[in-house]
Amino acid sequence: MPHITVGPDGPAIDVPPGETIVEGLRRVGWRARYRCRGGGCGICKCPLVDGAVTYPGPVAESALSAAERSAGLCLPCQAVPLGDVVIEQRGRPLRPMLASAPRVAAPIREEK
Amino acid sequence: MSVIRLGYVHVRVTDLARARDHYQNTLGMDAVHEEDGRVYLKSWDEDNHHSVVLEEGGVGLVKFGYKVTGEDSLAALENRVAGFGATAERMSKGDNAGVGDGLRVTLPSEHVLELYSEVEYLGTKVGKINPDPWPRTGLRGIGVPRINHALITTEDPALLERFFAEVLGFRPAERLVSGDEPGDLVGSWMFCGENPHDIAFVNGPNGKLHHFAYQIDDWSALLRAGDVMSMDEVPIDFGPARHGITRGGTIYFFDPSGNRNEVFSGGYRTGADFRPITWTMDQAARGINYTHREIDQDFLQVVT
Ligand code: FES
Ligand SMILES: [Fe+2]
Repeated sequence: MPHITVGPDGPAIDVPPGETIVEGLRRVGWRARYRCRGGGCGICKCPLVDGAVTYPGPVAESALSAAERSAGLCLPCQAVPLGDVVIEQRGRPLRPMLASAPRVAAPIREEK
Repeated sequence: MSVIRLGYVHVRVTDLARARDHYQNTLGMDAVHEEDGRVYLKSWDEDNHHSVVLEEGGVGLVKFGYKVTGEDSLAALENRVAGFGATAERMSKGDNAGVGDGLRVTLPSEHVLELYSEVEYLGTKVGKINPDPWPRTGLRGIGVPRINHALITTEDPALLERFFAEVLGFRPAERLVSGDEPGDLVGSWMFCGENPHDIAFVNGPNGKLHHFAYQIDDWSALLRAGDVMSMDEVPIDFGPARHGITRGGTIYFFDPSGNRNEVFSGGYRTGADFRPITWTMDQAARGINYTHREIDQDFLQVVT
């Protein structure tokens, strides 16, 4: 299981493969800073200090540009760890929360 | 010429298939037209061709349209825009599917606003003869009846308020101020008919969209909308709550690309003799969320 460490003094958790950083943290009771959870608003953007992530879902260039990616920033609401990762949340500590995970990976429905 | 209502909002979406699913199945709009990378949608109680356009690629506002009465020539309107020092160009029938000739204005806030009087009539789902109050079949998800308003951000709220008042005949219903000087305007909620607002804007970056809203019947429709959002795993921003400003009920939420939507219920009536209400910054949180009296700074900052 990929291991997520949140710096400088945040939790360290394991997430099931395929889960985003934000969703993984939510599931174990931590709210990172996010708003849209859709890769569009950019408010979750933070440094990816170590490790690699992939983006299976959509990410808007205005939320995370190619230059920002290569400068080591990531979008935790859409980023899925490829192995162990370290992200930095300095100045925006996680808040403890009780959150319900999505019940199903929502398929795209046909218009009925 | 007078402005009738917000006609359409045209937004970018990162993934058209996911966006369609949200607007068609969660909100319940119908696709009326498609062309390369764009889908045009209409809500069930709207007469005109479309009220939302989704365009694939990125996120945020492409432009929005207000329908105007047709008696004035476009040239006169063009002159008023030019007289204010803003720029406009003619738009032609077919530039937007179903919409006729009009004027495309670049607002002092850099948003693109289109004004038109001719638009294809498709009719509501219940018709105009002995209609049912809502369609017995074919509603999906929330089943939003119509769009209602948009809230945009501008570096100069006072200038934009003057534009909407002097060029387009809007009036402010509610004003958020940080002091007594004209330049102390932080936000303005303006109307063109008898709504509490048809356009609103707050201080922020030029050219950005904070949200656009659908009007739904009442508080219980709002709560039911929240149920559908939970069933469909829609990210909620805040609500259900009551606005101090406009007195409407609200839920703010996000489409799958991160554009903010709102369902809005209630609100009072205004009109030509309505005297504007003032909110001061120390009570701004109550103005926006009367129920909770606090709002996350990110609610104010996040725009697309
Ligand atoms: S929360 Fe909006 S981009 Fe991540
Ligand atoms: Fe609103």
